[in-house]
Amino acid sequence: MSADPYSARVRALFADPVHAGQLADAAGALLEDQGVRIAFSAQLAAGRIEALRFQAWGCPHVIAAAEAFCADYEGRNVAELLDFSTSGLMQSLSVPVEKTGRILVIEDTVRLLAQELVKLSPKEP
Amino acid sequence: MAEHVDLIYLDYAASTPVDPWVVEAMTALMTADGNYANPSSTHVAGRQSVKFIAHAAGQLAALLNTDPSRLIWTSGATESDNLAILGGAHYRQKRGRHLITMRTEHKAVTDTFAELERQGYSITWLNPEPSGLLDMAKFEEALRDDTQLVSIMHINNETGVIQDIAQIGAICRDRDILFHVDAAQSVGKIPVDLSALPVDMMSMTAHKVYGPKGIGALYIADRAGVHVDPLLFGGGQQRKLRPGTLPAQQIVGFGTAAAIAQSRMLRDLEHLNAMRDRLWSGIQDIPGLSTNGAIGCAFPGILNVSIKDVEGESLLLALEPLCVATGSACNSKNQEPSYVLRALGTSDALAQSAIRFSFGRPTSARDIDIAVDRYRSSVARLRNLAPGGVA
Repeated sequence: MSADPYSARVRALFADPVHAGQLADAAGALLEDQGVRIAFSAQLAAGRIEALRFQAWGCPHVIAAAEAFCADYEGRNVAELLDFSTSGLMQSLSVPVEKTGRILVIEDTVRLLAQELVKLSPKEP
Repeated sequence: MAEHVDLIYLDYAASTPVDPWVVEAMTALMTADGNYANPSSTHVAGRQSVKFIAHAAGQLAALLNTDPSRLIWTSGATESDNLAILGGAHYRQKRGRHLITMRTEHKAVTDTFAELERQGYSITWLNPEPSGLLDMAKFEEALRDDTQLVSIMHINNETGVIQDIAQIGAICRDRDILFHVDAAQSVGKIPVDLSALPVDMMSMTAHKVYGPKGIGALYIADRAGVHVDPLLFGGGQQRKLRPGTLPAQQIVGFGTAAAIAQSRMLRDLEHLNAMRDRLWSGIQDIPGLSTNGAIGCAFPGILNVSIKDVEGESLLLALEPLCVATGSACNSKNQEPSYVLRALGTSDALAQSAIRFSFGRPTSARDIDIAVDRYRSSVARLRNLAPGGVA
């Protein structure tokens, strides 16, 4: 009587999280809340995110969302991180509404990461 | 499940496949050329159906070493539990309104006691020891002069722990307290001798023992003061205790399953022991692994383990294609840790990581070896995925 709680995309991201791991000599952010623990690490090159990795302790939706975020934002400008919101991820991954709090931990961790990266970014002349 | 050919099913405590002999026996009562007549009908065909039902009752009674007349057919263990607990409490309410059960009972029991609590009955909810067993001294302390009914399950559906129903029953019998046992996980799996056990009422179901879903039974002892008020009305079948047209094909299925279980119980138990031991020996060295409920006092068909530093929901998904049960509530919207494991004193984090493996006749050594590999690799992968120093 129970439908599959995971979309095909969540299953795929959970099964093969190619951005899982931790980068050496990188900026990072770690947060624990809502029974979830998320860490991101990122390497910059000329104001762009050259590499982005995550570590996560949480449910499959959290792991899939962290992987999806990394895949989406690798290669983008640091400034774009400041506008990141999980609402798109919630929709694209069909995250159940009762897990909103857990997914928001990702958003909070991204904010922390963005603050770290902004400090490292070259200033405009 | 035809499309999932690679599934490894290790959830036999939830349900079992129907034995082919059971299917054959049932089919003979369902088709136009069979005995499909209503057993309440007085014509020849109806009387034939009655004979089939009587034979099935004899098969189940033989398994339990009791008289067939003591069995009431129901839709399953949940209904049996409701009839025994609600019906027994209502029948004895003029003598007293104090009842006792354990926090580790199945929802079919705990929710029924909660309903009685709403009706004004006084309920004592006993916690188990960390092993999962009921402490007899604490049980005796809980008894009162107005205690009228005690309900303790035989084999726990999550941990497999087997309660000493002989001792509990003896204590109840000394005080003329109704003693009900939810035996959904034990009937047909371990010896149950109702001629020797001081049990007044016992709930059972067919689909845990290779019979069909939708049929169960309630045993009611032939003893003064042991009776239940009915929950359903109409038709007058089954001494008015559980009216309604008897589903002859379901009953014959249960009877056949009971006869098969009786004929091969020792062989089944040897097989389950071998499967449980093979799985346990394959994973017990994983750091942070613990059992829920003491293996030494548990039914070998169930092994429930928790693991430190691994998130339970992700573990369950990573274990696919293994079909196992989790330590979380059935409702996927509510990932609350199992109330049974919490009652054992298991922390929320460990309870949330719990996985119940349960084995059956079809379980093979290959299934177990795949399960061992999958469990070990999934735990390693999820631990590797987590930030260091996981809480």
